[in-house]
Amino acid sequence: MVAITFIAADGAERTIDASEDLSLMENAVGNGIEAIEAVCSGNAYCGTCRVYIDPAWRGVLGEAGEIELPMIEAAGDETPGVRLSCQITVTPELDGLVVRTPVSQS
Amino acid sequence: MTAVAQECPVHQGRDDRKSAKIAEANLAPQHGARPVGSFGLSRDLLRSSKVRQAGPAGSPTDDAEIKNPGEVSFFFLDGEEHRKRRAAVAGLFAPKTIVTRHQAVMTSTMDDIVAKLRARGSAPLDELSWHMAVVVAADIIGLTDSDSTENLANRVKAVLDSSLSKSRGPLGKVVFMIQMLTRVGRFWKQDMVPAIAARQLEPKDDVISYMVKENYSKKGMIMEALSYGGAGMMTTREFIVMCAWHLFEKPALRERFLGGEEADQFAILEEILRLEPVASLLHRRAAEDIETKDGAMVKKGEVVAVSIRDANTDEAITGPCPFELDPDRAKRMKVVGPYMSFSDGPHRCPGAQVALHETRIFLDRLFRLPGIRMEREPEILWSPQIQGYELRGCVVACDPA
Repeated sequence: MVAITFIAADGAERTIDASEDLSLMENAVGNGIEAIEAVCSGNAYCGTCRVYIDPAWRGVLGEAGEIELPMIEAAGDETPGVRLSCQITVTPELDGLVVRTPVSQS
Repeated sequence: MTAVAQECPVHQGRDDRKSAKIAEANLAPQHGARPVGSFGLSRDLLRSSKVRQAGPAGSPTDDAEIKNPGEVSFFFLDGEEHRKRRAAVAGLFAPKTIVTRHQAVMTSTMDDIVAKLRARGSAPLDELSWHMAVVVAADIIGLTDSDSTENLANRVKAVLDSSLSKSRGPLGKVVFMIQMLTRVGRFWKQDMVPAIAARQLEPKDDVISYMVKENYSKKGMIMEALSYGGAGMMTTREFIVMCAWHLFEKPALRERFLGGEEADQFAILEEILRLEPVASLLHRRAAEDIETKDGAMVKKGEVVAVSIRDANTDEAITGPCPFELDPDRAKRMKVVGPYMSFSDGPHRCPGAQVALHETRIFLDRLFRLPGIRMEREPEILWSPQIQGYELRGCVVACDPA
């Protein structure tokens, strides 16, 4: 299992044991992280699974790619480190990852 | 291709579906297509980059037919061209856009619908839902410069309600083609041309403005606009009526819908849609050999027929009693509510959230009208065109204004 910490907009922290080979979004939804809505169920078509990658991890995960950018732009979210969590696959290298979630996904 | 509830410990395995029987009697997968019904396998295949759209023979989804992608709606494309064109209009369907722009259109349209219903006392429900679906889709497409919404709706209906799949003799086919060309020509001249002219002068944030900017051909514009129309108007019309039918019949569910917050209202609508998906079958052809996560093999060239109905009632993802309408199911199972009803993968319905929002707004207003009642139940018909149900003849009434 891979430990991943979600920090809500109000500062509340929760660490989950994420399963490898599932997306970060699927792990969040499966563990009841309510700030992740994912209304398109992981197709990068809604932008409601946005997370902000902790600065220390941005080098590992990289920037949002061309599949993610249209929906991030449509959400009007210019927060540094923003990514769609449905496009991040959990791997052992992400053990200890810290992400923040927005006040609202819409 | 019907899933079977193995163990349903409550309500004797109650089946709340209204459209299951007609679907079972009429569903027609392509000849030779391999049926797929499990949710997991369906998802793997629909999300695979190794599959292509596979419509009926002769449809524009056959690779050989797509010689000029500029003249084919992006709904029927795959790969990079599809991604690029879909990304260009993604913002039109984003949740933020729905809240900041489309909700106002939905609300004002519902004002008109309510006024019409209260003035007449009663009306066919599919006529009212069609009105909502047309106005919302037209705003997104950019069909906003027609002589009237009613005429636009009639011209779109004249094109979309016709089906090439209806059996006709050779002469009948010629007559039909002439009729279709006339109807499409009328739609082009009276709806598309004024919209294009207006956007050449002043671009807006809609599909036609994008097509004008990208110099689409006349054929390309018509194909794209009608594809959006088909997807956004025809299916939403049925979805609204189906949800209303369930809510009219189930007082407790209706009470919960009217008393609930938006999230709960969506949960109810999504659960109805899980049981009653408007489209039932999705065909894909393997462009190369595929091995799915579960080890299933699909050979290059093989066509699969994904049954949305079976995937949506797969107990592996729904839990027990898959045919019961249970709005708490998705939350309990920690899955996204509509399951496979809006498809999945690159071709997932772009307007899924728009459809859910307009249905929610429509029904929330309808069921708050004084004296609202269903005077006649709908008749369930089958559309071979979309391989889905159509609900006609439902009449609703309310106290006069």
